[in-house]
Amino acid sequence: MALRDRYYEHQRPILGTVSVIGFFLLWEWLLTSVVTVDPFFLTQPSKVAAAAKELFLGGAIWQDLAVSSKAFLWGFSAAVIVGIPTGVFMGWRRRAEYTLDPFFTALYASPLVALAPLLIIIFGVGLTGKVVLVFLLAVFPFIFNAFAGVKSTDRLLVNVVRSFGGKEKDIYWKVILPSILPYMVAGARIAIGRGIVGIIVGEFYAASEGIGFAISRFGDTYRLPEMFAAILVLMILAVVFTEGLRKLENVLAPWKIGQEAR
Amino acid sequence: MRALANFYREREPAILGGGFILSLILAWQSVPSLVSLPQGISLFFTTPVEVIKAFHQLVVQNQIQSHFYVSAVEFIVGLALAILVGLPLGLVMGRSKILDAMLDPFVTAFNATPRLIFLPLLILWFGIGIWSKITIVFVGAVFPLLINTYEGVKNVDRVLVNVVRSFGANEWQTMKTVVLPNSVPYIVVGLRLAIGRALLGVVVGEFFAASRGLGYMIANAATNYKVDVVFVGVTIFMGLSLILTYFVKKLESRLSRWRPETAKNF
Repeated sequence: MALRDRYYEHQRPILGTVSVIGFFLLWEWLLTSVVTVDPFFLTQPSKVAAAAKELFLGGAIWQDLAVSSKAFLWGFSAAVIVGIPTGVFMGWRRRAEYTLDPFFTALYASPLVALAPLLIIIFGVGLTGKVVLVFLLAVFPFIFNAFAGVKSTDRLLVNVVRSFGGKEKDIYWKVILPSILPYMVAGARIAIGRGIVGIIVGEFYAASEGIGFAISRFGDTYRLPEMFAAILVLMILAVVFTEGLRKLENVLAPWKIGQEAR
Repeated sequence: MRALANFYREREPAILGGGFILSLILAWQSVPSLVSLPQGISLFFTTPVEVIKAFHQLVVQNQIQSHFYVSAVEFIVGLALAILVGLPLGLVMGRSKILDAMLDPFVTAFNATPRLIFLPLLILWFGIGIWSKITIVFVGAVFPLLINTYEGVKNVDRVLVNVVRSFGANEWQTMKTVVLPNSVPYIVVGLRLAIGRALLGVVVGEFFAASRGLGYMIANAATNYKVDVVFVGVTIFMGLSLILTYFVKKLESRLSRWRPETAKNF
């Protein structure tokens, strides 16, 4: 009876774990003892695990991850530095909003990835092209979330600061900044996904190193276990970052905020 | 003068917003006549007039139409498949606790990951024909649809469900009369997100593995330094996503007009 209660208490995590483990076991079992599949077409978890071990111990994947993260971090930081002030400015100055909003909305709604071939031809296959691509994709979530955050700032707080003789600077630092913080986390979550898209596309298209290049090279050479391992690494990273930020979002602002990804 | 000022004040957002975009285009157009570009940069430079000329030429040569047709087929078939799979799965996951708990880890993991990383694998499986693009569009678009449908089902008013249940409705009837109509606004939001992902899939899929389609046109033009053709393609994609987003947003505001107050104030 007690066991039954315990089960119902933790039903979700138990069922989730069971289904994930079951999925991998079934996959392994089907390919080893039920059907034989062309190894150039599909591989199985045990081989992927062996390949992952090889990649990590051999150090090959660290090099690729380092190259990709460097481009990602540069582009992402530039997006933060440019995006947040732009968004705050748009939210605080009505005329700036009128002027910039249609242009930015058009850019945010359109698949800017289409510019990737051009950027890579202009900036080369090295770091710069990827940084520009990541920046272009990641800057708009920051702009629009900072904008929405400022728009939702409590007018009362602004008036209080004003009444007590606060300057424009005080309003920015004491009211606007704290109130846009949760929006920034939401923006970062969306921007991370878009930034990874930028890295991947840049490296698929033209690169000689990086995690995206690794995935496409393993694909081209039919090394499926390595390819699955690299995909898995990227998936784990993406889940850790986005779910981590979602948790942070729930802590900072339990109500639902921010703009959804487009 | 007063009339002019009034005219401006009434339409300030439109004038400022439109004026900004127009002046950007004009500034872009006038760059070559103001500064002489060095050889290295002029190779990558084009002007809006050149882009329009290139567009006209491509239309005359019937190239745009054939590329557009391929991309449109990939987009529509992929999105349709995503709707066919995402909607029912979202509904079922929203109604069944056990299925929800079992599928949630997979949905979360795939949703957090940009699905474009599966492109090399999909090319390996489906070749460089139309099906690899349809599947990349599908995996891109299915998760926003599934998750938003799920959210819609989860946010259904419990009272309404209990009422139809009390009157003896079975699961299918509950779904049809209460759950589905209540989730429609959420589904439309999912559709808007899905359209964006689907376009992304078309563009990137055609970059790497295609011999036709607008994405292929862009990538091919870039390798041949035909920058004006690149911008023709980029502009078409921008225009398409703006038009599609506009219509879905219209639908969104239309559908959510009746919702919250009437539901809560009875």
